[in-house]
Amino acid sequence: MSERDLSKILYVEDDPDIQVVAQMALEMVGGFTVSICSSGQEAIEKAANFQPDMILLDVMMPGMDGPTTLANLRTIEGLQSTPAVFMTAKVMPSDIERYKGLGAVDVIVKPFDPMTLAARIKDIWSKFHGG
Amino acid sequence: MVDDKPSMEEKLAQLQAQYALKIIGRIDELQGFLQGFNGAQDGARNDALKSIRDATHKLAGSGATFGFPEVTVVARKMEQACVAALEMGNKGAPELAKQLEEMLADLRAASTKRDDVARDMNADVRGERLRSREFVPDLHGSSRQKVLFVIPCDGASAMQMLLEMDHFGFDARIVDHPDKLLDDLHTNGAVDVIITDLEFAGDAEVAIAALKQLRDEAEYKNTPVVVHTVLDSFAARLSAVRVGVNAYLVKPVDMADMIDVLDQVTRRHEDEPFRVLVVDDDESIASHTELVLQGAGMETRATTNPMNLFEVLDDFSPELILLDLYMPGCDGQEIAAVVRQREEYAGIPIVFLSGESDKDKQLSAMQLGGDDFLTKPIRSSHLISSVRIRVTRFRELRSFMARDSMTGLFNHTTTKQLLDNEIARTQRSGGELALVALDIDHFKNVNDSYGHGVGDRVIKALARLLRQRLRSADVIGRMGGEEFAAILPDSGVDEAFQVFDKIRQVFSEIVFHAENKTFNVTLSCGVAAFPTHGTATVLSDAADKALYAAKHAGRDQVVKAD
Repeated sequence: MSERDLSKILYVEDDPDIQVVAQMALEMVGGFTVSICSSGQEAIEKAANFQPDMILLDVMMPGMDGPTTLANLRTIEGLQSTPAVFMTAKVMPSDIERYKGLGAVDVIVKPFDPMTLAARIKDIWSKFHGG
Repeated sequence: MVDDKPSMEEKLAQLQAQYALKIIGRIDELQGFLQGFNGAQDGARNDALKSIRDATHKLAGSGATFGFPEVTVVARKMEQACVAALEMGNKGAPELAKQLEEMLADLRAASTKRDDVARDMNADVRGERLRSREFVPDLHGSSRQKVLFVIPCDGASAMQMLLEMDHFGFDARIVDHPDKLLDDLHTNGAVDVIITDLEFAGDAEVAIAALKQLRDEAEYKNTPVVVHTVLDSFAARLSAVRVGVNAYLVKPVDMADMIDVLDQVTRRHEDEPFRVLVVDDDESIASHTELVLQGAGMETRATTNPMNLFEVLDDFSPELILLDLYMPGCDGQEIAAVVRQREEYAGIPIVFLSGESDKDKQLSAMQLGGDDFLTKPIRSSHLISSVRIRVTRFRELRSFMARDSMTGLFNHTTTKQLLDNEIARTQRSGGELALVALDIDHFKNVNDSYGHGVGDRVIKALARLLRQRLRSADVIGRMGGEEFAAILPDSGVDEAFQVFDKIRQVFSEIVFHAENKTFNVTLSCGVAAFPTHGTATVLSDAADKALYAAKHAGRDQVVKAD
């Protein structure tokens, strides 16, 4: 697979504080275009038009949680194989494996470092395309 | 991308500030949930617990991102406590409520400790700010030891254990069955020590089997293991020895004793590097000698001009001087004699390094103050081990002279001397310095009720806590009996107050065991600062007076000097 540049990220996160800092980290440091959704429902509504290159999801959200949101996103045209990454404060190793089993390519543990988040995302992106 | 950094940092700083404001509201909200939990029954109680779980989950996930790493740590603990309680059907509620209450207080304290988010990534950019040293009352991250507990999990007491370990500067985690031991190490990384119970659901073999497996893996062959169990049979001890258990503790064990044992089994072998001064008029020989010693991990300094020796000595404070015997101007013997005249260097090892092979001349050089004579050319390995042996012995002797034998803290005389030095240094640099006088409350009662052995344990626990909580540049002295003193360079009276109020609080939470009873001990402190109090004597008096005031006002408190 030829590696194209990572440009559009769909980010699903309910905590407004984290939304702001992650958006900043991804846009200012990473130079990505970020679409923020505060709930799984909103993500499903926006995703078809936005057609992201990558999906970032918080795991624990009120209403629809991250894994359910991802399962729903997968039914949308064009998002069947978009790389998805869970962001979670749960650090149980068994959870991490489970999330990967649910179709996430990687897991980012919260709290994250805003200065290195973009680099971490790029890293995941090139790993996904490299092998 | 690089160009964006300054504005990114500015924005981050802004966000940090906003978060700092919000966090207070979050904690108040938590307080509300906790009250709800206390007042409610059954279902409503569970709901309150879930609210606390979700709120702390959020805080844990965001704290460190916004520069509050401790908020993450404490919030995560609260979340884990809630999860555990919910899983176990919410038993032991009063106990849990009390723990949550305490953790909430910790959370409040943590919310005032803001760190620099971008500190690590941008050390250069932020160098300026870093130089204005931030006062971190807790341990430096690097010196925290990691501990893995393998214990049957009963929420409340496990939480208590984690909290206490945290107080003593250990990062602890728990698995509830020996079968999970290796998995945890593989996924969460190696630890400095493993503490395990022996009996799980009546089965005394399962832990031993797991430890056997552990020892089969090269990486964990030497990981220290401590057994903590009610089993006290010869057979149990023997099987523990056979799987390389380093210590065997029979319950109940005082946390202070446990910490002592953990210290022993995890004692790091790499110490501070030896500091060696090389004096040789031949620059190339000096730098060769330096290279050899540096290769062995030592710190070195060389001078080719004996005339500026004192400057180098005062600046570098070496632990050994390597002297060339023949130099133009003055020779090595003369230099040794001159160095020995200075009282503070009377004990420093001086080793001659020279081509002189005449035994008589060597002996006469030693008479004037040399400790050893090495003949050039010398094998590198020989040079290194000679230096190493001398410096190690020097350190041992020095520590006997300067330290209190029970606690390893500086003794009265040394502490007073160090106070003089630190004040002189502070005077030169124009900064501040805080002196804290501490005294254990009603210590006589402890000795009278439980005996001196128990009293000694209390003293050791405090000594250890002080070492854990203070920075390496701080001087801690045992002034006699249950009296201690701490010198905090570059700190004002308010900083010192903050730090010691936390120490006071943590110390009062430590549970001591004696004669099947448990008890707590409290602490009173007086804090004074230089230059407000302008000499060592005035400063000491002020700290003592403040300590007296603390005692007078009911003990278990820290008082600032007028």
